[in-house]
Amino acid sequence: MNMRQKSAAAVAGALLVSSLALAGCGNSNDGGEAAGSPSAGGASAGGGSQKSVTISYTIWDKNQQPAMEAIAEAFTKQNPNIKVKVDVIPWGEYWTKMSAAAPAGTLPDVFWMHGGQFIKYATGQFLEPITDKVQAGEIDLNNYASNLGSIYTLDGQNYGIPKDFDTIGLAYNKELFDQAGIPYPDDTWDYAKLAEVAKKLSQPDKGIYGFGAKMDTQAGYWNDMLANGGHIISADMTKSGYDEPASIEALKARYQMILDKASPTHQQMTDTDTVEMFKSGKLAMIFDGSWDNGNLASSDIIKGKYDWAPLPKGKVARGNIINGLGNVMSAKGKHKEESWQFLKFLGSKEAAEITARMGAAIPAYKDTQDEWVKSKPDLNLQVFIDQAADATPYPSGSKSYPIWFAKESEIMSQAWGGAISIEEGAKQVAEMMNQAIADEK
Amino acid sequence: MNSKSRYAWAYLMIAPTLIGTLAFWFWPAVYSIYLGFLKSENFGLVNHWVGWANYERLFKDDEFWRNLRNTMQYVVLFVPATIVLSTLFAVLLNAKIKGRSVYRVIYYLPQVTMAAAAAMVWVIIFAQDYGLLNSALGTHIAWISDKRFAMYALVIVGVWGAIGFNMLLILAGLQGIPRPLYEAAEIDGAVGFRRFRSITLPLLTPTLFFTSIVLVIGATQIFDSIYLIIGKTNVALPAVRSLVYAYYQNAFIYYDQNYGAVIVNVLLVINLILTGIQFLLQKKWVVYD
Repeated sequence: MNMRQKSAAAVAGALLVSSLALAGCGNSNDGGEAAGSPSAGGASAGGGSQKSVTISYTIWDKNQQPAMEAIAEAFTKQNPNIKVKVDVIPWGEYWTKMSAAAPAGTLPDVFWMHGGQFIKYATGQFLEPITDKVQAGEIDLNNYASNLGSIYTLDGQNYGIPKDFDTIGLAYNKELFDQAGIPYPDDTWDYAKLAEVAKKLSQPDKGIYGFGAKMDTQAGYWNDMLANGGHIISADMTKSGYDEPASIEALKARYQMILDKASPTHQQMTDTDTVEMFKSGKLAMIFDGSWDNGNLASSDIIKGKYDWAPLPKGKVARGNIINGLGNVMSAKGKHKEESWQFLKFLGSKEAAEITARMGAAIPAYKDTQDEWVKSKPDLNLQVFIDQAADATPYPSGSKSYPIWFAKESEIMSQAWGGAISIEEGAKQVAEMMNQAIADEK
Repeated sequence: MNSKSRYAWAYLMIAPTLIGTLAFWFWPAVYSIYLGFLKSENFGLVNHWVGWANYERLFKDDEFWRNLRNTMQYVVLFVPATIVLSTLFAVLLNAKIKGRSVYRVIYYLPQVTMAAAAAMVWVIIFAQDYGLLNSALGTHIAWISDKRFAMYALVIVGVWGAIGFNMLLILAGLQGIPRPLYEAAEIDGAVGFRRFRSITLPLLTPTLFFTSIVLVIGATQIFDSIYLIIGKTNVALPAVRSLVYAYYQNAFIYYDQNYGAVIVNVLLVINLILTGIQFLLQKKWVVYD
């Protein structure tokens, strides 16, 4: 008896809730018509048959989450039946999770793509081609700066829409320079000057160092190697450049800064990342990517006390790596039409302007970069745009990249930690890379 | 109720566990054996049969032998230390001392601590410059990045984490020893260590045998403390890298599930052998009454 009463109440409750939900829908539709906006009326009329869906958008940078959510919100305002859930998976786990999700058919509807990983996912047909939409003129890939539109293309098919691009800059702590009475870095600097000033600024007894000579690729020695006339990989992606004398020389020069106590040791930099040291005012200079400015700016300790300069000149050139991220959609998504609408919106000028205004990243959309530079008027963000012209593209774009890139850091950490010489490390990396390239042929 | 329907009920009752074990333990193990004979492409959607090629590569790989040696070194250091200390604490906490339950809780705490959070604390304890351990000892040792010390650091963390649970098992074993035996021993004049040596220890051997089997299998699978405390850019990693860590690297970082699979398949065989040896040796030291 009691039991029966309870279940009857539950059924009644459920009915009540669903009728309320229906009433809610009716009300909101009425509201839309009452507002009298013809476009809104049209949308809701068309939307009568459209179900409300939620699509997932997965990114790896927590610092860009607010901007991505703002874009999603702007999109939902225009497409009230499509909600977007922004998820962050940190870079360290992002590709592990994606490589499990891809064969299982559970990739997010829309997600960030990196040039290094793109080929694997495109050849596996895990990404939805957007070639016909490009051909139909729904989106124009010429709208994006520096040829970025061509990164996410494979065998004549388009898969991605450029999101942003990034270059590397020299971040410096003005306060530490002022205290030492040394002029700030500028575009006349070369690597010798960097090493010399780094030594002068170091006070190891106080835990303060001039430069973070970190074991790092894109925001690290890759720039040094290019500036010194070396290569990361040959232009046709068939041979490693790590064992070229110019590359080895550049690597040694960076490592020398640790030996000179102009930089923290490898272990110190493993325990505490150089960016964190810089943010706590313990490092006078670091190389860092344009994508990280929001992270640096979030530190109260160095707020208003740091700025950016171009990377120093090397023997041959000013080295710099330019990389462009893209937005792609899953080939197995349940709401492909809605995902496409969102993907298209992510590639729009409006989304680029939100990205720029919120200082999240340098948008790929042409002529929106200035707004990013102006997003932090007290910082010389222009250096990132200026360096883009001569920068070297990120050395991805081969099937072997994800493999050799993962193994590279393991070998180099042996060299940086002092277990093997820099030269030996560079040679081992070259051998490993050449093997990985041969294996993927 | 006839016997058939009784069996049906029994199977129904164990079904949740049985299905879980088959689906999440047995099937992956079988699938790993299958994967070991393949070369997979495209996230495992395209596979080629390569026979024993992956195993041939494994046995020629110096790194595999070093990882195996590291794993065995860990087992040899970790298992005896854990058993001795767990037994010691169990015996002490079995005695009638003040605040006994408080101590029991304290020693059991590592078991309920989140591994990742504990690892962060250990990293701070082991830190070279400002670490607690170095300031307590007055040394300046890079505990987790010097290849001479990193293994000991891992053993310390491992033993610390394992004592709680094993102490509990041994405590249960101790309380299963019949009281009258002790009373008889007392009349015969056996007290203190003699009592422990002649009564407690022999009667505890079945429990110790069980804990040592479980500990050896667990120790061969060491992974999380290497991942959390040592880290992938640590110069000491090659000196402590275990087979399971190598499996993780190959399968999840280098995208080579096949090579990863042969590593864990070999580990499975090693564990079967180690367990077999222990079962053979038990006749020599385990006392069943």
